[in-house]
Amino acid sequence: MDISINGPKILGYLGPIPITQTIVISWVVLAIVTGLCIWLGHNLQVENISKRQALAEMAVEKLNGFVHANMGETGFDSYIPLVGALFATSVVSNLIGLFGVFSPTADLSTEAAWALVVFILITRNKLKAQGILGYLKGLLSPIFVMAPLNVISELATPVSMACRHFGNILSGMVITLLIYGALTAASSALFGLLGSTVVSGLVLLAIGVFFWMKKGKLRIPGGVLGFIGLWALLCSIQPIAAAIPVLNFGLPAILSLYFDWFSGVIQAFIFCTLTTIFIKSACEA
Amino acid sequence: MFQSLVTLAPWTTIFQICNLLLQLFLFKKFLYKPVMNILAKRQAAADAQIRDAKQSREEAEAIKAEYQENMAQAKAQASQILANAQQTANARSEEIVRAAQAQAVEIKNKAEADIAQERKQAVNQIKDEIGDMALEIAAKVVEREINSADHQALINEFIENVGEAR
Repeated sequence: MDISINGPKILGYLGPIPITQTIVISWVVLAIVTGLCIWLGHNLQVENISKRQALAEMAVEKLNGFVHANMGETGFDSYIPLVGALFATSVVSNLIGLFGVFSPTADLSTEAAWALVVFILITRNKLKAQGILGYLKGLLSPIFVMAPLNVISELATPVSMACRHFGNILSGMVITLLIYGALTAASSALFGLLGSTVVSGLVLLAIGVFFWMKKGKLRIPGGVLGFIGLWALLCSIQPIAAAIPVLNFGLPAILSLYFDWFSGVIQAFIFCTLTTIFIKSACEA
Repeated sequence: MFQSLVTLAPWTTIFQICNLLLQLFLFKKFLYKPVMNILAKRQAAADAQIRDAKQSREEAEAIKAEYQENMAQAKAQASQILANAQQTANARSEEIVRAAQAQAVEIKNKAEADIAQERKQAVNQIKDEIGDMALEIAAKVVEREINSADHQALINEFIENVGEAR
């Protein structure tokens, strides 16, 4: 049993430029998000709207509401499309991992790129609000020896944003991989053992069928047990069946609810929240 | 041929920045702007409807005021007409009553005249009859023929007296 956790695969080189899975899947994500936008945004009516249009309007209004709640009602409407694009890209990038392809957000470069854009916007707004001299003076406050710390704290904003998002997605990916590996190992060990005799499979199948037929609270555990018994029986007849990781059905899907779905959406949400709040506070200084 | 797990790949970063900006542009063009346009249009339509409704209400109120004025006028006119009619009717009824009274008086007078005439006739007739009867009775009582003309004069005198006594 060997599990390897790697970064994105390098698919080829375009001159000096390495084309990685991240880049290719990002284009796919770009296409998906744009396709969704086109589908949602085409043929809009003023009256008598379709469900599709209601969805589009709801999405845009929620987005407006989100930005207004974090940045105030006026003055920041130009950032709404950026926040929307960031959120959509992030969510689709996180969830595309569910289809077994490499998630672009499992590459730190992706989050770094986003954080860099946000950092540039933050700094631009700070410079606008305080002036170049005021900004530089702010770095020296309260006394000049604090300057290195102030510079670090400036840079910490994008670094922490990028690393938070990346870390969560990466950890989800790692945990999913580990669970799959562990369940594969457990599967082959369990059915190797159970499949060594016909008796164990028959016994498990009988118990399972008994509880299944009783139709009580134990019906589903009984069903699972019966299935394991059936599979053990199959393994005892045909040993090659033991190599199929049967235990991987079911359990990873439940865990992926948290590690992929919840974590994927919440990280996109957090990234966008931080983006709006940092830009807003940069303008206030 | 794997990139290491945690690393900053400069080219990937550059690509991702471009992707984000492109995504921003596409998102804005295909979803954000169309939806915001529609929302603005709907807002404008709603505002226009409210404006129209206000205008129609004002118009309705003007019409109502005019109607009320007309109604008041019509009422005044109606009561005027009614008063006129009543006056005319009164005058007419009085005239009719007067005419009726005059006619009644005339009829009464005529009737009285007729009655007097009839009485006169009746009296004359009775006079004649009584005269004849008296003559017959006298003839029977006296049982002799007397000069009819002399007796006639006597009887007439008698009846004259009777008529005056009555």
